[in-house]
Amino acid sequence: MSMFPIASVTVGAGGSGSVILMDNIPQTFTHLQIRIFARGTASQANDLIYFWNAPSGITNSQWHNLFGDGSSAQSGNGTAAVYAGNVPAATSTSSVFGSIIVDILDYSNTNKLKTFRCFGGFNANGSGVTQLWSGLWIGANTAISSIRLNMGAGSFAQGTTVQLYGIQSSPTTGA
Amino acid sequence: MSVFLQPIYTQTVGSGGAASVTFNSIPQTFTDLKVVVSARSTNASVGASLYYTINGNGTNIYSETRLDGNGASATSARETIRGSAVSLNVIPGANATSNTFGNLEIYIPNYTSSNFKSVIMDGVSENNATTAYQELGAQLIQLTSAISSITLSPDSNFAQYTTITIYGILRQGI
Repeated sequence: MSMFPIASVTVGAGGSGSVILMDNIPQTFTHLQIRIFARGTASQANDLIYFWNAPSGITNSQWHNLFGDGSSAQSGNGTAAVYAGNVPAATSTSSVFGSIIVDILDYSNTNKLKTFRCFGGFNANGSGVTQLWSGLWIGANTAISSIRLNMGAGSFAQGTTVQLYGIQSSPTTGA
Repeated sequence: MSVFLQPIYTQTVGSGGAASVTFNSIPQTFTDLKVVVSARSTNASVGASLYYTINGNGTNIYSETRLDGNGASATSARETIRGSAVSLNVIPGANATSNTFGNLEIYIPNYTSSNFKSVIMDGVSENNATTAYQELGAQLIQLTSAISSITLSPDSNFAQYTTITIYGILRQGI
């Protein structure tokens, strides 16, 4: 077995505010995977989840995406944030949550900038998105020891779950 | 005991770079394979291609349907039979931001099956600029024998610190 749960957050009644924080990430794995099942409370159809590395933030960063909304496909880019992707918010069909899997490879490797790969989407019976986001944290080659997820507006809704896993590699090469 | 996700092999590219990485003698005891790639190419480009072949077979058995993004627009394309390999367009080249590596996964269900192999992948390059590459792909490998080796190669060479791991995934009940 090479995939180990590190942290798990479930949002209960009343929500958890706009932040989910996972601290003290062990440096003993090779990769990290975050599995997000989330919905927002903001008064809009959907909302973006973005990363923030406490305490200074991921402001020195670049993002790109590949995005389909049921009628067209598009690709975009921007700076000053690393996004996980869109999830439904308050005006979307009730009880619909978005699913996103985030992979951060070699999260403790100090020879690499950190590239986030975030694959997700949701279907709300008449609306929805499918999306692949990437993010480059340019600020440092340092190991990731803390991950903070922020909701773009409003809070994470009750029923939101976030799990963080550590994934090992192999000591043998097969060469 | 069933194993959900087991690392089989990991290779890390050393200081001289490498033209290719091959995993031999893949055990036939899992249900699916997952290849996790953190790679960069020495090719003089922002985005380089990553190729893979199965069982050393360079004949016309590889085809692909894909959805690509470049930070500005999205396109979908289908490649008919290729001569040598599957081509994935998602690793940074030497002109991308230093120390930036692509992040991608290739998933191969039922790799020991006697049916053709149907493969899916998702990957991203990244670059501190408007252009970087994202890809969702589905590949058909017209091979009926079990997969026992996988070779990955980029345009030019893999850069130092490229890491590739093959995982075996076992279904419940085995």
